Order: sequence, then C-alpha cells, then structure tokens
Amino acid sequence: MVNYGGDEVSALVIDIGASSVRAGYAGDDCPKAIIPTSYGYHPAPPDADVTMSDGAENIDAVNKSKFANIYIGQSGPSIWREGMEVGNPMVEGLIQDFNPIKPLIDHALEKTMRVNSSEHPILVTEPTWNTPANRERMAEIMFEEFNVPAFYIANTGVLNAFAAGKGSALVIDVGQSMASVTPVVDGFVLRKGLSYSPLPKLIHAHARHILISPTPHRRGIELLPHQLIANKTLVDAGAPPKFTIRQDRIAGTTESWRNWAETREIDEWVQSVAGVLDQGWNDAVAAQRTARQYEFPTGYNNYFGLERFQVGEQFFTHSPQLVASNPNLPKTIPQLITEALRACDPELRQVLMGNVVLTGGGTLFSGFADRLTAELTRSFPHTKIHAPGNPVERRYGGWLGGSILASLGTFHQLWISKEEWQEHGKPIVGQRCK
Amino acid sequence: MPRELYALIGPSTPALSAQLAKPRLKQKPNFGGTAPRTKWELRTFKNPARKDGLELRHWEKVGADSAADYPFAKYDIQPNSYQYSPEEYTRLLEDKDWTKEETDYLLSVVKEYDSRWYIVHDRYNFPGGHERTLEDLKDRYCSVCRKLIRNRPWAGDDAGKTLLISSYQFDKEREVTRKKYLKSLEDRTPDQMAEEEALYIEVKRLEQSERRFKRDRENLLRTLAGIDSGLPDIVEDDPLPLAILEGSKTKTKKTKGVAEAESPATPAAAPAPTVKKPIKSAAYDAQHCIIRTETLSAAIATKAAHQPAYLRSFKLPAPKAAIAPKVTQALAELGISHTRLVMPTRENALLLDSLIEATTTLVETKRAYDKAEYEIQVLENRLGLREKSQPAEGAEGKIEGGAGMDVNDAQVGKEVEETDGEDGRAQSILSARSGGRSRKHARRSMSISSVDTVSTRANNKRQKRN
Ligand SMILES: Nc1ncnc2c1ncn2[C@@H]1O[C@H](COP(=O)(O)OP(=O)(O)OP(=O)(O)O)[C@@H](O)[C@H]1O
Ligand SMILES: [Mg+2]
Repeated sequence: MVNYGGDEVSALVIDIGASSVRAGYAGDDCPKAIIPTSYGYHPAPPDADVTMSDGAENIDAVNKSKFANIYIGQSGPSIWREGMEVGNPMVEGLIQDFNPIKPLIDHALEKTMRVNSSEHPILVTEPTWNTPANRERMAEIMFEEFNVPAFYIANTGVLNAFAAGKGSALVIDVGQSMASVTPVVDGFVLRKGLSYSPLPKLIHAHARHILISPTPHRRGIELLPHQLIANKTLVDAGAPPKFTIRQDRIAGTTESWRNWAETREIDEWVQSVAGVLDQGWNDAVAAQRTARQYEFPTGYNNYFGLERFQVGEQFFTHSPQLVASNPNLPKTIPQLITEALRACDPELRQVLMGNVVLTGGGTLFSGFADRLTAELTRSFPHTKIHAPGNPVERRYGGWLGGSILASLGTFHQLWISKEEWQEHGKPIVGQRCK
Repeated sequence: MPRELYALIGPSTPALSAQLAKPRLKQKPNFGGTAPRTKWELRTFKNPARKDGLELRHWEKVGADSAADYPFAKYDIQPNSYQYSPEEYTRLLEDKDWTKEETDYLLSVVKEYDSRWYIVHDRYNFPGGHERTLEDLKDRYCSVCRKLIRNRPWAGDDAGKTLLISSYQFDKEREVTRKKYLKSLEDRTPDQMAEEEALYIEVKRLEQSERRFKRDRENLLRTLAGIDSGLPDIVEDDPLPLAILEGSKTKTKKTKGVAEAESPATPAAAPAPTVKKPIKSAAYDAQHCIIRTETLSAAIATKAAHQPAYLRSFKLPAPKAAIAPKVTQALAELGISHTRLVMPTRENALLLDSLIEATTTLVETKRAYDKAEYEIQVLENRLGLREKSQPAEGAEGKIEGGAGMDVNDAQVGKEVEETDGEDGRAQSILSARSGGRSRKHARRSMSISSVDTVSTRANNKRQKRN
C-alpha cells in the first residue's frame, strides 16, 4: 500500500467549470457526477409563496429570496418551462454568484452521488486567477453549509500537471469561457507566468456570426432549439427549412433561456463540424478538405467547407480586419504561450516546453492538438506535448488530478480540518493552500 | 442389437460401463490456499504529521496494529532553516541593500517553499521592497546561512562544517552570466540557428577529412621510411583534430621541401607492404615507365628484412671511401661531378655506376702502377747502393718510405672526413624533421585553446538539443 503512496480516505473531489460541475470520489478515474453548471430558475416573486413545481430543487432560506424554483442537472435548463430563466454562476472562470453554488453541489453530491457531505473530506479546484475572497467564501460554504470534516482547495493548473503525471509542466487549458497557460514547477504555479484570456468566447461568437449571417450562397441560419419546434420535414441540403414552431411556447420563453439554447446549438455545430488546419491558414488546403454536412433542429442542413476552418483559425491568429475593428481582442494561444514563457526564468523554458500538457474541453476541437504541435515545434524544436487521447481524461484533467492528489497518503496532512477552520478562520485557507 | 447396426460397428462395441460411471465435477479451485480470508475494516486514524486532531477514516486489515504510527507521517520532513537574533544580525549580517525586515521575510519565504527557488522568486513580494532577481535572493540567503554557520559554535568536525558551508556556496556573477548566455542562446534567430548548424556540420566534415588525411599520410610514411616509422605521436582518434591539421600541414610542407631540393626523381621502389597494388601487365608497365624490381618483402615480412621505398637519387653509387678523393679528382679533371645526377633515371644511375667503377679501376690501376714504379725505383736505388757497397744507407731509405706512407694515410683520412661532412644529407634531413616537429608542438599547444572553445560550443549545442 505504501508502495504506490495511495491511502484512500473516501474524499470527494469537486471541480466547478463554466460548462459543468464534476464531482466524484478521490481515487476514481472519472467523475461520478457531471452536471451542467447552467441552471434554470424562476425568479422569486416579490412576496407570494409559490408551490414547488416538478423537478425543482429544495431551496434554503438564503436562496428563497432570489429563486422561487431552481432546476439543476440533466433535467434542469434543458427542459423547457414557462418563464424559466437560465443562469450561470461563472464569469471568466471564477464564481461570481455564490447563490446557486450550494444547490449545484447539493445536486451533485446528494442527488447524483447520494453521499452525505459531512462524512467526507472535500477537495475543490480553483483556477489560478481565483481571488482570496473567493476561495475563502468557498471554504466557508463547505464548512458552514456542507459541514465537511476537512477541506482543501487546489489549483487546476497543478492538478492538470498531476493528472499528466508531471510535477513541472506548461498547462494549456482551454475551457468554455477561458483559455489559460499556466507554468507549473515542482507542483507550484508560477503566478508571474500565468496568462489567460477569454478566447473561447471569441471562437463562439465567431461561429455564431458565421452561422446567422447570410452568405452569397446560403441564407442566415435560424438557431431554434428543438424544444421550440413542433415538427419538421426533410429538406435537401441548402433548401429553406420546413418546420412548425410551437407557438404555445414562444410567449413563455425567456430571453436567457433562448440565449442558452442557441449557445448550445452553436456549441454542437462547433463540436461536430468546425476544425482547424494543422499547418496554418491556406485557402487552397482549406478548400480541398471535404465539406461536412450538418443538420440543425429546424431541419435545415447544409455542407460546410471553408467556414468550418475559419472558426478554428481564431485560436491561433486573428485576421487583420478583425484586429483593425476591435483593439482588445483576447490573446491567441501562441500569444498566451509566448507571454507565459517570457515571464519565466530562461532556465525553465526548456523544461516547460518539454512538458506541455493540453487539457480542457476546448482542446478537443478537431485539429487543435496537431496545429499546436506544428506551431510550437516551429519555434521550440524540442517541444513535447502531452495530450491524452481519452476525451474524458482531456476534459476532466483538473478533476482527475484532484482525484490523484486527494488519494495520496502524504496529502492527508494538508487538509484544513474543521477544527482548524474554527480556530483560525479564513486566513488558514491562504496559509495552507499555496 | 439390430443386425444392421452390428454390421456397421462390428465387434468393437463401446463399453457401456464408462458412460454409466458417475460424472465427476471439476475440482473447485482453491484460491489463497488454506489461509483464512483477510478481513478489512473501516478505521479512524490520526496523522501525527498534523498539529490538530483531525480523524480520517480508511480501510485497514483487521489484524494490523491499530496503535502503529500512520505510515505516511514519516515523509513529513521539515527543512532545516536558520534563525538569527537581532544581535547576530547587527554583528554579522548587515548589508546596505537589505533591511532586517526584508531578510526576515526572505528566510520565511524560503522556508515556506522549501528552497524551491523558482517558486520563492515567484511568490516573493516584500511590501515596499524593490524588485529582486532570483540571483539576488539566492545570494542573500546563501550568504546569511554561510555567515551564521561560520560564526556559530560548531559541534562536529571541521570537514563537516566546510561541507555545510560549501553547500551554501553561490556565485552570483557566474549564475547571472550563465543565464545571460542561456538567454542569448534562446534569442537566436532561425537564420543564426541554421548557420550554426551548418558550421557544426562543416566542422564535423573537416574533422573527418582531417582524419582521412592523417591516415593516408601515415600510410605514406610507412611506405617511405619503414614499418616502424610513421607517426608515433599521433593517435588515430585524436581529440584535437584541428591541432593536427596545423601540425601536419607544416610537416608535410617540410618533407615535400626536402624532396624537391633533390633532383627530380622517379621512384624505383618496392611497393608499400600494406598496399598491395594489382599486378598489371608488362605493356601497362612499359607505357607508364614502371620498372619492377623483385621484392622479397612479400615473402619475408620481418622488420629487419623490410626494405622501405627510397628515391633512386638517395642511393647513387659512390666510390669507395678510401679512394673517393682520387676518383673525384679524376672526374673533376674531366668536368664531371659524381655526387649529383641531373636525371637519375635507372639507365643514368647504371651509367654513373659503371663510370665510377671504371674510374675506380683506373685509379687503382694507377696506384698499383705507381707502387710498382716506386718499388722499382727503390730497388734500383738499393741496387745502386749495393754496387757502391754501402749497407747503412738502405735502412735510412726504409725509414723514409714508412714516413711517406704515414703522411699519405693521414691525408686520406682527412679527406674522408671532409666528404662525409659534404654529403651529410641524412643529417640535414634529420634536423629538418626535428625542426618541423618542435614547431608543430608549439602550434598544437597554441591551437588547443581554440579547439577547446569549439568543442565546448559543440557540447552546449548538444545539451541544448537534449
Ligand atoms: N469535441 C469537442 N470539440 C470542440 N469543443 C468541445 C468538444 N468537447 C467539448 N468542447 C468544448 O469544451 C468546453 C467545455 O470544456 P471544459 O469542460 O474544459 O470547460 P470548463 O472547465 O467547464 O470551463 P472553464 O474552464 O472555462 O471554466 C465547451 O465549451 C465545449 O464546447
Ligand atoms: Mg476548466
């Protein structure tokens, strides 16, 4: 047992991202519960006491004032409900709104995993740019509301390096809202070397722009979700769609839900169609690649050729006209890497470039790893990129690292225990979790 | 049993007893032998590495000693760190660039991050302090530790103390320069890198051709000067290829110079023992003016029997030393010098040989004639004296004759010496060679430094690649 250094104390690991909340037992190889971070809710009316509707979570007193009902999980925002709004607590990778955090974690632990949080030490992840106030608030929620016996908050950069089996690495994490490059040395983040930007948001906006704006040979596409479509008929590629809208639902659909649903449509299109050329932009090569067919919920379908590669190109270069029209574009991946390396000691650069770890759902973008390899080997011939082929490992690298860390025998001296929390209060978080 | 069936299977009826035996089940596998099953239980444990009383639960074997220490607690090793009193600080550690507060802070950060200097530098943020480089921090920390160790009472032996001090040795200047080099190495443009690569390949190529050249020369020397000549001071895999390049160049120039000083020569020599040339036809030989001599070297491969190749002009026939001056004199009368042949072809050499032989015979005949003449004269004298019947005078004449011969001998010896000095070709070659060698040594020692830098650069490069 001592040989591999593991000692499982049935700790739980929670990784909260902009797209999903991942929770599971430390020592497992994938999270038991993966629930969307976006939640549906009915805002609380000024006074009246509403009855609980179907599928809603139990709400504590704090949230009563804000939400009449809150819907989380698989049957959360994705089910259409009249007047339901959709919210997301995350802004730029940080928890902005702590109100729905408790219901989210509750749902993951109690509803999905069916565990009692007061019996398990809990490790939570945080991005490197998390604020001290934020992590202290998280500790407070864990100790005061979930009554955990022990708590630790670990950095996703470090955890991703651990998940790749490395103590020192350059972690490139592309999530739903943020892309970041984090140098990790000996299990610590080099804060000065951290660089991040909301690049995935730009990709998303670009994809939306491509889809909804008409081109000479195709009309703008309506991004209606299937929840709002009563029926559709098969049409030829490029032909105008024939479908009936569920008129009964239109009036009860909120702006935020509509937005969330459209975002999902775009994400799906991106995930199944979009890609990036592996050797830099080249019109001829892009035109040569086979076009891919995609059908939207309205029944409209078409082949996407050149456009699908324009989307991915945004990860690596910004077109000059875009730069001209928009001075504060988020930094591209190569820019982030250059910036991170520039802030590091020259001696470390070789080490870091030899241990590049690719993680986050955004890196699953088709062709991303190949293109990055091509870009990096051009300026650093000895680059070695670790990119797990298993999509679960790639997307949930942060969680996996937490799972490894929290099941190590030597780690158990680092937990912040309830006793310590009560004795020292918030400062203990900063002292212990470096 | 019906007859038809019997006809089919014949008398070899299967025995029914086998089929009727009770079927036996496969034996149950016995996992884990007779040992009892291990039981595990969920137990709470305390971690001695923790300062609080947190109790976690994990599964343990039932029999295991529950009072035993937590096995992972032993990995909790605190780094040793140095503390100092204010008095010690003012006495030893004053530094105009550092305040006591900042030094305190530095030590605490180093302790917190366990001397991981990159992290220490990353997290170092002293309020009100100015920007510090990693080297600044490390330098200060190491100097503080060194001073404390040096000035505190030391329990152990001196060796331990110096060892501990040397572990805190830090050369800031060197580190800074090293980083600077590293940075410049990284800042190279692709063009520069390509150029460097090309240069590297060029050096490799030069080295290789140098080695080949050296080998060829070695072979040549063996051919010319015998099997155990060659280059004793040059090893095949010389780590200083450029030095050899320098040295060998001068040396070859020298030997060539000597060869050129001699008259144009056609080698009439045995082929080198190492290089076996295919035997060509007589027509080929005639066309290329090759004259083959019988070589015994193929049969007798001993060192003594080995006859190295030589220039024909080196072995021109010479008259016998005793009569050489006479021969020279005789030839000189005819306006011929036998020491030098303008065109020492085989035929000419043979002609010269016969000329010298003829001259020698001539000189010898003349000598014999002179001797006979002299003897006749002496005898005639004696006869004349005897006729006058005066015996005492004969003895005097004898003495006189002996003295004359002596003088003659001495003169000859002197002349032999002179010719030796004149023709001292071997000597001059030797001196030229030794001169060349000593110069070569000087060159080599000079070029070692330059080669050194080249090879270290190559090493760097290789490191970089790694
Ligand atoms: N196969 C795929 N191709 C392209 N993109 C994908 C693919 N799979 C997932 N994604 C994208 O990855 C994102 C989710 O990644 P991930 O789960 O790492 O984000 P997160 O950690 O929740 O977000 P963040 O790190 O920004 O807080 C989504 O935006 C999704 O569109
Ligand atoms: Mg993430």
